[in-house]
Amino acid sequence: MSENAVYLHTEALDVGYDGKKLIGDVDFSVHSGEIVTLIGPNGAGKSTILKTIAGQLVPVGGAIYLSGKPTSELTAHDIALELSVMLTERLRTELLTCMDIVETGRYPHTGRLGILTDDDREIVRDSMETVHVWDLRARDFTQISDGQRQRILLARAICQRPRVLLLDEPTNYLDIHYQIELLNILRRLVAPGDVAVLMSLHELPLAAKVSDRVICVKGDKIGPVGSAQDIFTPDVIDALYELKPGTYNPISGTIVLEEISGQQKLT
Amino acid sequence: MQKLNEIDDAFGRGARGRRTAISFIVLGILLIVLLIANLCIGSVPVPLADLASALFGSDSTNISHQVIWDIRLPRLIAAVFLGGALALSGFLLQTFFNNPIAGPYILGISSGAKLVVALMMIVVIGANQAMPSWLLVVSAFVGSMIAMLFVLAVSRRIDSAAMLIVAGVMIGYICSAATDFLITFASDSNIVNLKNWSLGSFSGISWNDISVLLPLVVVSAGLVFLLSKPIGAYQLGEHYAKSMGVNVQAFRVALILLSSLLAASVTAYAGPISFVGIAVPHLVKRLLGTSKPLLVLPASFLGGAVFCLFCDLIARSLFAPTEVSISAVTAIFGAPVVIAILMKRQKSRRA
Repeated sequence: MSENAVYLHTEALDVGYDGKKLIGDVDFSVHSGEIVTLIGPNGAGKSTILKTIAGQLVPVGGAIYLSGKPTSELTAHDIALELSVMLTERLRTELLTCMDIVETGRYPHTGRLGILTDDDREIVRDSMETVHVWDLRARDFTQISDGQRQRILLARAICQRPRVLLLDEPTNYLDIHYQIELLNILRRLVAPGDVAVLMSLHELPLAAKVSDRVICVKGDKIGPVGSAQDIFTPDVIDALYELKPGTYNPISGTIVLEEISGQQKLT
Repeated sequence: MQKLNEIDDAFGRGARGRRTAISFIVLGILLIVLLIANLCIGSVPVPLADLASALFGSDSTNISHQVIWDIRLPRLIAAVFLGGALALSGFLLQTFFNNPIAGPYILGISSGAKLVVALMMIVVIGANQAMPSWLLVVSAFVGSMIAMLFVLAVSRRIDSAAMLIVAGVMIGYICSAATDFLITFASDSNIVNLKNWSLGSFSGISWNDISVLLPLVVVSAGLVFLLSKPIGAYQLGEHYAKSMGVNVQAFRVALILLSSLLAASVTAYAGPISFVGIAVPHLVKRLLGTSKPLLVLPASFLGGAVFCLFCDLIARSLFAPTEVSISAVTAIFGAPVVIAILMKRQKSRRA
């Protein structure tokens, strides 16, 4: 596998709901071994872009390519071998253990009845150990905390063994300890160079640390795309989030409040 | 191999396997006991000792032999396969609507089938023709699909699980009321049969009926079992299912067609039967301790058979020689299960 293989790219992609364009001309690529993060204000359309790539929304225009092949010419099964997802929607399961949930990640690799082989079980175990949830395997999925559920869903996405992991707000429900742990897991995951991650993040300091490239999403188009150093500057961030100049401090990676108590502008 | 054994031990896969085995053995034993009880008990009691000779004896003038072969055996086969079909239909609808109290009766699908079958019977019997078995099934399928399309239209407009059920119950009432009108105004004496059937009963099933319903249910149930993999993916929601490679559109159509076909087969021969479709999958999931379709589907079929054999035994023997409608009995045992599901959901929502 060449070092800079393009696993996912879009061409003139228009995304939106019911044929109405929200964001136009989305052009970006995700390479092997790379973590690419979408940032931007709430409602800017980060999720809309991810949902379109995941196939939940039909592209209004343009095309999405997985390893060079347009998704419009791939079956759901072909796509499942290339791309796995972790969504923000809540699961309503009944009488399923955490391990049952993770095992569903092997779906595209199993036969007619979905019976797991010993190899599949090894992969399930590896994935759960990677995310440090092996101890939860026999627990009912509804009986664990939100943060634990989030990690189980990450293990599920990993165990599908795709080329691209698509994660929508993966740090939701996680406290700072697990946020950092999750990002470390993602870094370890892409380190061998045969997987890429495309995700959306709210937490700018985390995005600045973990991302190889950052895509700004705002309004009807995507803004600057670049390395973390290029994007996490006062100019770009203040403009993206419509902050007063000087609110974002790139050195500490945090925000500066106004000195006189008044309306607080937080990210 | 060492490591895998460790996995099995650590996860208690052995314990889970044992629970599965015990569950199926319990269902199997119940089935056999109820099969024998249904053959022996009735207005002409057949002592257990005489059962084998009555069943396999060559003396066809023997009254026990006649009762068993002409009446009890077809009725019992119908209860087994139609009960299984009802439970599967309920499980499919619960999966489709992601609603634990969805079922063919409560959503009005059985009543839709009943209405079209009644209409067809009155037309055919009115023209002094015999109603062929296949026409019965086709009519029931048309009726169940019409009701199903109504429910689907409602479910697109409202997002509430409870309101969907209310809408289904209303559709059921409308269809039942229309059927009652038809029966009241059709004065033909043949229509008396219709009245019995429209309340739900396994009585009057002939070998001819069995020859149609048996292959129909077996093939449909087989197809449902082959869907257990995508059903498992769909339990995580439509979007996750799609991301795993399920062709969601085709899968949803298959669920609708199969659940309607199974419900229609039941209604065509035994009329509308309440609550089996909700209660049995729920009880079976509790018994197995999992909702994995690969296990729940076959266990639900067995469970539906057991439940219907049990209820039919009560329906025909409790006030013998008068028969209670099968729906009255299934409701008495099934409705409390629905209440239990609702209370449990309320509790888990608060927690």
